[in-house]
Order: sequence, then structure tokens, then C-alpha cells
Amino acid sequence: MTTLDLQERKEKLKLGGGEKAIASQHQKGKLTARERLEKLFDENSFVETGLFVKHRCTNFGMESKEAPGEGVITGYGTVNGRLVFVSAQDFTVIGGSLGEMHAAKIVAAQNAAMKAGAPFICINDSGGARIQEGVDALTGYSQIFFNNTLASGVIPQISVIMGPCAGGAVYSPALTDFVFMVDTTSQMFITGPAVIQSVTGEQVSAEQLGGSLTHTSKSGCAHFRCADEDTCIQEIKRLLEYLPSNNMDEAPVYESDDINRIDERLNSIIPASANQSYDMLSVIRSLADQGEIMQYQENFAPNIITCFMRLGGKSVGVIANQPKHLAGCLDINASDKAARFIRTCDSFNIPLITLVDVPGFLPGTNQEYNGIIRHGAKLLYAYSEATVPMLTVITRKAFGGAYIGMCSKQLGADMVLAWPTAQIAVMGAEGAANIIFSKEIKQAENPEAKRAEKIQEYEEQMMNPYVAAARGYVDDVIEPAETRKRLISALYAFEGKKVLRPQRKHGNMPL
Amino acid sequence: MAIKKFRITLNGVVHEVEVEEISSSSAPAPVSAAPAPVAAPAAPKAAPASPAPAAAGAKDVSAPMSGKILSIKVKAGDVIKSGDTLVILEAMKMENEIVATADGKVTSVNVTEGTNVSTGDLLIAIE
Repeated sequence: MTTLDLQERKEKLKLGGGEKAIASQHQKGKLTARERLEKLFDENSFVETGLFVKHRCTNFGMESKEAPGEGVITGYGTVNGRLVFVSAQDFTVIGGSLGEMHAAKIVAAQNAAMKAGAPFICINDSGGARIQEGVDALTGYSQIFFNNTLASGVIPQISVIMGPCAGGAVYSPALTDFVFMVDTTSQMFITGPAVIQSVTGEQVSAEQLGGSLTHTSKSGCAHFRCADEDTCIQEIKRLLEYLPSNNMDEAPVYESDDINRIDERLNSIIPASANQSYDMLSVIRSLADQGEIMQYQENFAPNIITCFMRLGGKSVGVIANQPKHLAGCLDINASDKAARFIRTCDSFNIPLITLVDVPGFLPGTNQEYNGIIRHGAKLLYAYSEATVPMLTVITRKAFGGAYIGMCSKQLGADMVLAWPTAQIAVMGAEGAANIIFSKEIKQAENPEAKRAEKIQEYEEQMMNPYVAAARGYVDDVIEPAETRKRLISALYAFEGKKVLRPQRKHGNMPL
Repeated sequence: MAIKKFRITLNGVVHEVEVEEISSSSAPAPVSAAPAPVAAPAAPKAAPASPAPAAAGAKDVSAPMSGKILSIKVKAGDVIKSGDTLVILEAMKMENEIVATADGKVTSVNVTEGTNVSTGDLLIAIE
């Protein structure tokens, strides 16, 4: 019977590298590619494509080597009812190594996702290029990278690292919007520990070099760190709920809790003394629907918070200074993190909420030598370029260039709200008074008393939201407790926002 | 005498070359030649030791930015938890709580109240 033959063929291919390889995968604390897809997709929704694809390599004995499914599973299915395309490398088949046809399957899935306008998830678990296939393997990688770039800003691209991802292979995740990593079982690096030791003598373990902690706290190359694969898959599903299917679509709207909710705690959250910090996260949680947020790069540059949440049911991206870290200063990493997040949200029509409490850019030779000028410029560029609704709330400090950079009115904010505790000024009182009144202070009989008097004078005159509000740079000064309802109201008011930009090939973003 | 031997390949022909380092006191060299072998075995010891401090120092807390130490909340020997405040660092006119990033035990406090620190200076050593 031909149908029986078909069933047999499929079952054999679906076993991948076989029982022994599957057991070894489990022993490492990893699921197989097929188990991962089972957990990711709604029950019985996954449709596989390219199961019968075979390699055509005849070098070094490869002609007799079978690679079921070519070491990668591709197809589509639904996640919480929404269409998603996927590729999942199968480590049980020749170590998930990437050859010409393995890559061709991934490329085909990417193309299909772009045509259908649905997110693409790429699960990485591969030893790298299939050496026997030589330059054909490299060509395969190139096509994937090229497609990643074409799909950028068109469909959400999510990379999931669930095993090794080394050498050139890392550039696919690097080109995508979101990178998930699993603690202890996933690593990314350009050159591995062995090469590093032979070349530079440095000794470092694979996990230290390219594990999830490294990439989510030091390098910023990954966005989400998960304790295990199950958690990781749950987090991917959660992220998808904040995203639209493509750049012409809107993120799904969910049921909101009370849009007029008042939070009296916010009226007293700013400490009486200006040199005390507070947790900006608690402000964000208070504003969010159901108090629920999803942080993006939680442990990288914690002096700026970037997260998704919902306001009145709508998905929004939040960028907020965190006074608890580095006094909330903007530095190189914070600028990079925020700029990337802003562009991710703008690509996918997700409005931006900016919460400002920033004393300035972080001073220091380290920052200047490493280019805080060009990195900080990314933040200004990203806000100025964005065309989604943008709402800004100034809770406390908004000084100088950092005030401009945190989505001020002139960078494109549609609505700027300030709390009565806001201090919007060119710089802090002490510095300003010392400059403006330097002569008077020097010539005074008691310079210190004069200095104190002038600092106080400057504070009283300038360190408030009303000077900026008098010019219209701030649209309204509001009671902190009512921030949520004011934001939701503005969000719906600017829902249909349309702005025109000059025709051009593309802008030249500082990098 | 500090004579070093080099093998040099020139146009495919191998030459052995001896190079002598000339210093102001090259004559009494034999005296210093004796302690030389003593120093030599010490070197390989130093090499493998270097990765160790890097790993041990992973929990150490250093200054995230330049500023002045306002107060120190721990002392050597204290057992601390991730998130515990170790030091208050005044910088950018703010009192910044510097917290532990991992559970551990304080092995040394490297600053005193009132000292000015630069970015990267070790504040508290933790193991």
C-alpha cells in the first residue's frame, strides 16, 4: 500500500537522529526540536513543510550519510490562535549542522512567513556549519542573514537559542528583533573558548563566555534569559501577545481593567529629598493594565527600563529612567538599549510611553572615549524618526541634553505630561547658580552664603514644571495619581496619528 | 651571559643566530646567572593562577560610576544576599544604593566613608 509506505517514511524521518541521540539530548537537559514545537504551538496546529528534503553532498563520505529532515524542522502553526512560522534545528541529526539544504529549508520558511505576514521564530541548536559541505554551507548562512535583513521591520523575528550557536551562525539572531536564551544550555560566541585560549591564552568557560547571563547583562546581545526551556517557550508566547503579526497590522487588544483607575500612592512616591532614589518599576506597574509588564533586556543597562505593557488594552512600549541605577543617568549601553527598543516598537506600530527622571548623561572618560556622543545620538534619532503615538511623563529630573533625548516635545512627543515634582531645566540648581552668578558669588562678602542664596533662588525660579509649561513644552501638569487615565485618554486620542516624512532611500542613523 | 639563540629562515635557508644582550654590567653576568634558574620555575606558576582571581572576583562589587562613599553598610565577614545594600555612593547629586549582585560573604571592604572613587574601583570583595 502506498499510503502505508508514506506513513512509514514520515515516521522514520520524524524520529530525527534516533532514540540514542534523543536520549542524549534529554540528558543535557534539552528538549528535542519536535518536543519544543509541540509545546510552542496550539494543539494539532503545527503543519510541517520540507520533511523530505535531503542534502546532496558527496564529499568525505556524506553520500552515504542520512540526515532525516536535513537536521531542521520547518513549518507553521498557531500560537494562541495566531499564525506563526518556525524553523527548529534538530541537534540529534548530525549535531544540527547547517548545510546547503538545511539552510534552504530555513530560507523557504522565512520567505513563507514574509509572504503570509506572520512572525518568524528560529530555534537555534546547532554545532555550526556542516564542514563537509564547505562553501555551500556558508552560502546557506548568507541567504538566511540576507532574509533576516529583508524581513526586518516587516514581520517580528524571534531567535531562540536552545543549544550551541557559534561562529557565523550568531549573526542570524543578531539581525532579528528578539533573542531568547536558556540558562546553562545555550551559548553564543563568534570564537569559542578553545580558539580564544590558543590565540590569546585567556581561559574562559563556554557559559562564562557566551551564556545567557553574559549576553543578557554584559554584552546586550540577548534580550530574555529563561531558567529552562519550558519557561522560555511560555515567555515567547507572552511576547507574541504584545506584537502585531506584521508592520501593516496592529497588536491585539486585550480586555483592560479600569481605565480610570487612580493610584494615590503615586502622589507620594517621589522622595521629599531630591538626592533619594525610588523604584521606577513600581510606577510602571501601577500604570499598566493588571500591573503586568514584560521587560526587554531587564539586566542590561538597568539604568533605563524598557518593557512592554498594556494601557486600556492596547500594547505599548515603555522607556523609563531608573533612578535606582547609576542615578538614572543615560550612558552608552542605556542609549543603545533604548534606541533599539524604540525602533522595534515603531517598526510594529506599538505606541511609546516615556517616563523621565534623568539627571543627565553619565560623565567620565570611559563614556567619552567609547563614544557616548554617537551612542546617545541613536536615542535622539530613534525618537525623532518614530511615527507611532508618543507620550511622555516627566516625574522628576529632566535636565539638559538628556531632557531633550527622553522624548521631549520637539523630538516628536504628542503629549508631554509633568508631575508637580518635575524639574525641567538646562541643568541642576547648583551647577547653574555657580555659572550664572559666579561674579556675584565671588564678589560677595560671604561667598558661601551668597552661593546658597543664589542656588535657592535658581531652584525656586527654575526647578519646576511651570517654566516649560509656560512655553507649551509641557502640555499639562497633572496629579501623579491620575497618570494612568491621562495616558490612556491620550493614547486613544492619538490612535490615528499620521505624520509625513520626506521621501528618501533611508535615513543615516548613527551607529 | 645573556645569550639567546634564534633560528632564522632566509630564502628557505635555515640559519642559527646567537644574540648577546649588551648591558652596562655585562661582565659580572655569571653572578646574576645563578639566581636566574630560581626565577624561571616561578613563572609557570603565575600563568595558571591568573584565571582564578577572575572567577573568584565575579561577585565583587565595584563602583558603577565616579563619586563619594557616603556610608558603608557591611563589614568583612558579613554574610550577604543578592540585592542587599552594601554601600551608599553619592554621585550625580544622588545617594545611590550599591547592591550585591549575588549571595556571598564579604571578604574585604576596600573603601572608607568619605573616599572618592572612580568608575570600576573595587568597593567590596565578596566570595
